[in-house]
Amino acid sequence: MGRDRAGRPSGDVSRADGAGGAAGRAVGHAILFAVAVYACTGEASAHAGSLGGSVAEATVPTWLVVLTGGIVVGGTFLFTTLLTDHEAMRGVNWWRLPVPIPAAPGRAVRLVLGAASVGLLALVIVTGFTAPADPTRDFAVLFVWAGWWAGFTATTYLVGNTWPLVNPWRALVALGNRVHGILGGAGGERMTHGGAGGERTAGERTAGGEGRERASGSIPDSWGVWPAVAGLLALVWVEVVSPVGEDPRLLAGLVVGYTLATVAGGLRYGSAWFERVDPVSRVFAAYGRVAPLQRTGDGVAVRLPGTALTGDPLPERPGEIAFVVALLWVTTYDGLVATPAWERAVAPLVDAGVPALLVYAGALLAGFGLFVGVYRLAARRVRTAADSYVTARAVERWFAPALLPIAAGYHLAHFLGYFVGLAPALAAVGASPFAPPMNTLVFVLPGWFGTVKLLCVLGGHVLAIWVAHSLAFELFPGVLSAIRSQYPSVAVMVFYTMTSLWVITQPYGSPPFV
Amino acid sequence: MPRSNPELPEPDVSVPAGEAPAGTCPYCERPFRTDHALDLHVGEHHDPTEAERERYEAALETERDDLWFFHAKAVVGLGVTYAATVILYMAVLGGFF
Repeated sequence: MGRDRAGRPSGDVSRADGAGGAAGRAVGHAILFAVAVYACTGEASAHAGSLGGSVAEATVPTWLVVLTGGIVVGGTFLFTTLLTDHEAMRGVNWWRLPVPIPAAPGRAVRLVLGAASVGLLALVIVTGFTAPADPTRDFAVLFVWAGWWAGFTATTYLVGNTWPLVNPWRALVALGNRVHGILGGAGGERMTHGGAGGERTAGERTAGGEGRERASGSIPDSWGVWPAVAGLLALVWVEVVSPVGEDPRLLAGLVVGYTLATVAGGLRYGSAWFERVDPVSRVFAAYGRVAPLQRTGDGVAVRLPGTALTGDPLPERPGEIAFVVALLWVTTYDGLVATPAWERAVAPLVDAGVPALLVYAGALLAGFGLFVGVYRLAARRVRTAADSYVTARAVERWFAPALLPIAAGYHLAHFLGYFVGLAPALAAVGASPFAPPMNTLVFVLPGWFGTVKLLCVLGGHVLAIWVAHSLAFELFPGVLSAIRSQYPSVAVMVFYTMTSLWVITQPYGSPPFV
Repeated sequence: MPRSNPELPEPDVSVPAGEAPAGTCPYCERPFRTDHALDLHVGEHHDPTEAERERYEAALETERDDLWFFHAKAVVGLGVTYAATVILYMAVLGGFF
C-alpha cells in the first residue's frame, strides 16, 4: 500500500530543495526554541515533578509548571504555523528507511515466540498462585505490571507493535484451531481469513499464527469496536479499584479469567476478536501506530516517530474514535484517582454512603463522556473555523490519530520511573522465579527524573501538534484555512496538557476507599 | 500534477440545508464554501486547465498576502509570550508571589 509512495518523498524533497531548505531552517529554529523552552521549564520544575508537593514550593509552584506546559504547547502551535511548505512537510512525514526484516516472520520464529509467550503466561499464573508473602518478590506481579504493562507497552510506541507476534492468547487460539482441525471438527463451519476486520488486519493476520482459522460466530458489524472500548474501560476500572497490583493470587485469578475469555472468544470469532473486542490487542495496535517501526506493503520501514499517523486515518467503524479518546482518558484517570484532590472530592460521597466502587465507575464513565464531548465539540468548531463543508464526523475521524502521541507520552511519563525503579527486582526475580532472592534491589530515582516525566508529556503533545498540523494541510485547501482549522484542537490540547501535567505533579498515593 | 495523498480517503462533506455552495469541484464534485477554497483545491488536487491554473495562481497570491500578515501576528504573539513567560518566572523565582 505504501509502495508507490515510498519513492516519491525523496523525489519531492530534491525537487523542492530551495523551499525545503528554508523550511528546514525553520524546523531547525523551531526545534532550537523548543529545546530552549524545555531547558527552562525543565530546570525550574525538576523538583515539582519528582516529589510532588513536598519540595515543589521551594522552587517553582505547581501552577506555574502547569501553565508553562500550556504555553509550550501553544507556542509550538504558533511555530508550526510558520511551517507552511506542504511539500517539505510531506518530505518529513513520508520519509522512510526500509529495514531488512520480513513483514511476516517464518513459521519457526512464530512457533518459538508463541511457545515462549505461552510459557511466560503459565509462569505468571503458577508464580501468582504460589506467591511469597511479599509481592515485590513475586514474579507474577513484577512481570505483569513492571515488565509487561509498563515496559512492553512502552516498546510498542517507542519501537514498534510486536504484540501480534508475542500474544500468548493468539498462540493458544492458533493451537486450538490446529487441534480442532486435526480432530476433524471443522464440518459445516466457514473458513475465514482474518475475519471481517477490514484493511488493518493485514499485519495482525500474518503474525497471527496459522492464517486459516475456524470462526463459527460473528460480531455484528454495527457494534464496530465498541466492545473493545467497553473492555478497556472495564479493565482500567478493575485495575484501579482492586488490589490486583499487589495481590499475586488475585492477579493470577484475573489472568486465568482473561485467558479463558480471550481463548474462547478467539476460537469462536477468529481474528475479529483481537481486532474488535480484546482491549489489550487494540491498545497495542493503537500505540504501535506512533512507533518508528512500521509495516509497509512489502516489509518493515523506519519512519520518524508519529509520522505514520499523518497518512493513516481511522477506519470507518463505530467506536474507532471513541477507542482513541478512551485510551487518552484512561491514562489520565489512572493518575487522577491517585491524587489528594480526588480523595477530597469523593470523600463526602463515600461518607454519605455511596459505594466507592460505584463512585469510581461513575467518574470513569463521566470523564470518558466529558473527553468524548470535548473532542466532538472541537471537531464541530474545526468545521466552522476552516469555513468548510467537511462533516464534523469526518473531521473527528481525520484528526483522532493526533491524540495517540499524547496518550503515549502520558503513558511513558506515568510508567517510565516505575519500570526503571523495579527493573533490577524484575531481573533478579526473573532469574529464579520459584525461589526469589530474599532482598530485591529497587532503584531510587534521582530528583531530575521529574523533569524527564514532564518532557514525556510535553513531547507527546508537541508531536500531536505536528501530526494535527500535517493532517490539516491534507484536509483543507490552501494554507490559512488549514491553520485556522487547528484553533479548536489546539485549545483542547492545551487543556489536556495542563490537566496531565497537574496530575503528574501531584504526590502519588494509592487510590483511596477501595 | 495531482498532489493529493493517495492513501488518504476523500472526506465526507455535507452542505447545510438552505445554503448554496459557492462552487463545486468539476473533477471530484466536492462542494466549497468559497471560490477561493475551490480554486486552491482544484490546483492542489487535480490537473487544472489553463484557466483554472490562472485562478489557482491568483488564489495563491491572495494566500501569500494574508499569510504574511498572519505570520507577522504569530511572530509578535510568540515574542510576547516568550517575554511574558520570562518575566513571570523572574517574578515567581524572585519571590514576588
